[in-house]
Amino acid sequence: MADIHSSLSLEPEPIIRLPEHFNRDWVSSRPAAGFSHDKPVVLDFAGVKDIDSSGISLVHVLKRTFERSNQKIILRNITRPMLSAITAVPQPVAAVSVKLGERFPSSVGTATLAVFSVAASALSVLTEMFYWGTIGAFKKLDMKKGALGEQMFQLGYKALGIVALLSMLIGIVLALQAAIQLRMYGAGIFLAPMIGISMIRELGPILTAIILAGRTGSATTAEIATMMVGEEIDALKTMGINPIQYVVVPKFWAITLTMPILTMLSTATGIFGGFLVSLAYLDISSSLFWSQLSQNIFIKDVLAGLIKSIVFAWLIIWVGVFYGFRVRGGAEAVGRETTASVVTGIFIIIITDALFSFII
Amino acid sequence: MDQQPIVEAENVTVRYGEHVVLKAVSAAFMPSRITAILGTSGCGKTTLLKTLLGLITPVSGVVRLFGHTLADQDSPASVDMLKKAGTLFQNGALLGSLNIAENVALPLAMHTALPRDVIDEMVHIKLSQVGIPNAAYLFPSELSGGMRKRAALARALALEPPLLFCDEPSAGLDPVTSAGLDDLLLTLRESLGITIVVVTHELLSIERIADSILFLHEGSVLYSGVQDQARKAPDGPMHDFFARRELAAPEAVDETSDFIVENVA
Repeated sequence: MADIHSSLSLEPEPIIRLPEHFNRDWVSSRPAAGFSHDKPVVLDFAGVKDIDSSGISLVHVLKRTFERSNQKIILRNITRPMLSAITAVPQPVAAVSVKLGERFPSSVGTATLAVFSVAASALSVLTEMFYWGTIGAFKKLDMKKGALGEQMFQLGYKALGIVALLSMLIGIVLALQAAIQLRMYGAGIFLAPMIGISMIRELGPILTAIILAGRTGSATTAEIATMMVGEEIDALKTMGINPIQYVVVPKFWAITLTMPILTMLSTATGIFGGFLVSLAYLDISSSLFWSQLSQNIFIKDVLAGLIKSIVFAWLIIWVGVFYGFRVRGGAEAVGRETTASVVTGIFIIIITDALFSFII
Repeated sequence: MDQQPIVEAENVTVRYGEHVVLKAVSAAFMPSRITAILGTSGCGKTTLLKTLLGLITPVSGVVRLFGHTLADQDSPASVDMLKKAGTLFQNGALLGSLNIAENVALPLAMHTALPRDVIDEMVHIKLSQVGIPNAAYLFPSELSGGMRKRAALARALALEPPLLFCDEPSAGLDPVTSAGLDDLLLTLRESLGITIVVVTHELLSIERIADSILFLHEGSVLYSGVQDQARKAPDGPMHDFFARRELAAPEAVDETSDFIVENVA
């Protein structure tokens, strides 16, 4: 087998006698670097019977390497077909290299425009969702018959179990941790209002919202993104069917109607978990627990929880729809946008909850 | 008789970011004719089709469907125009959550006040027309590529539109199924006088069905007219296309300037 270095002779130029099969195996074992660039190298094709794309690539790598020192490589004893195969390769497109100092302002500009573009399209989705779900529905209604009921079943009914179970467990854990501390001070009687207020105002709405952001938000993004990728959204548009009304509006109303119910269920099961702990751990009678609870819970607390739940519902569906419609590409993009949708959804819910703490 | 075009594009320019895909394209599609939009990959065929359908908004130029400008897609006028145009997408674009009968019934249920039993009967007729009457209760994922395209064609024809857009109807189909679809398009044109705009690469299909040709090259119209003339084109992209010849690779390495070649056998 020919060898780059052993084949160097006393001739004026170093000669690489290429092997019979100038292919991937031979190229893999011989690095293109390591030549002296003082003299042009000669590639001797006399013994070569076949060449593959690895061989052609090596020739071009050597060509560019030697070009940097203003040298040309010599192709000797080459057949016309092989020469054609080598010269048929187009010049590679040079990567655009911009200095950091020049790149920085344009990067800042591009990033700023991207932020504005994302914000504009997010607001556009929100506006369309509200418009076509309310006023627009009087102009035209492209909703499938029974779609609202179907979505309420999917988004609401099917989430009942998981919301109830998780909320009760959180209620139990919260009550147990509090009961240990309260009992030390003989203040176990305050467990009922503590669990009640925290579940009604805070934990009920936010727990339900986080569960639905993972469940409904991700499903909404994945469904719309898959429809985008499969041109189903385009197909709806070309049939004169408004995709926001057909796909989004049933989900919007379904989550708006079911979220408060789910929140109430979450709150009730969480309080029930606290009640079980108070019975088992604090020896508080059930009548005392419920009377303490009713004395310390006001209608404004219930309303605060319900308002939060509706706002969270709109945030979940807005984020889910926005990420679904912005998908570009294939299956990988669907997965990426779905993940982003869930993370953003939970993040926005927590931020909004923090803001609510200052308002109501 | 001087006929008005059913679809018209006037100086339409479309760009994706900095990349100009269509450069001041003007084209007219006449009634009851099958026009094939041709060109090599990346020349802007599908972009032109989507622009004609209002799915892409051009940066300049005007698109007219049935003599009216397609503006806001949700305006009653635009919806009326879109109801008169069926579209067969490249992969069918059937709604995956609905079965075939529901897919075909969708435009009828949304845009007509027909009773349910009449719609069901119409769906059966449309599916029979495209040769898949037994696929009504199957889901798109349960159909072969050819059957999916036929089902999508049935949906596109549900409202009996006078205009049909087809994006690569033969792509990915075996020659027999592909020929069957071509026959179907010819029958539709002959029996119902439908105007058909087809984006395709398939030379055999073009030869069989196309009355007129719109040849795009690098985003511009290179030729618009009858097929026979197109096939007689002198050297150039259109000649190469019909001769199934690869276009010359741009900027190939110049052997004399880039290498020293000694003793070529």
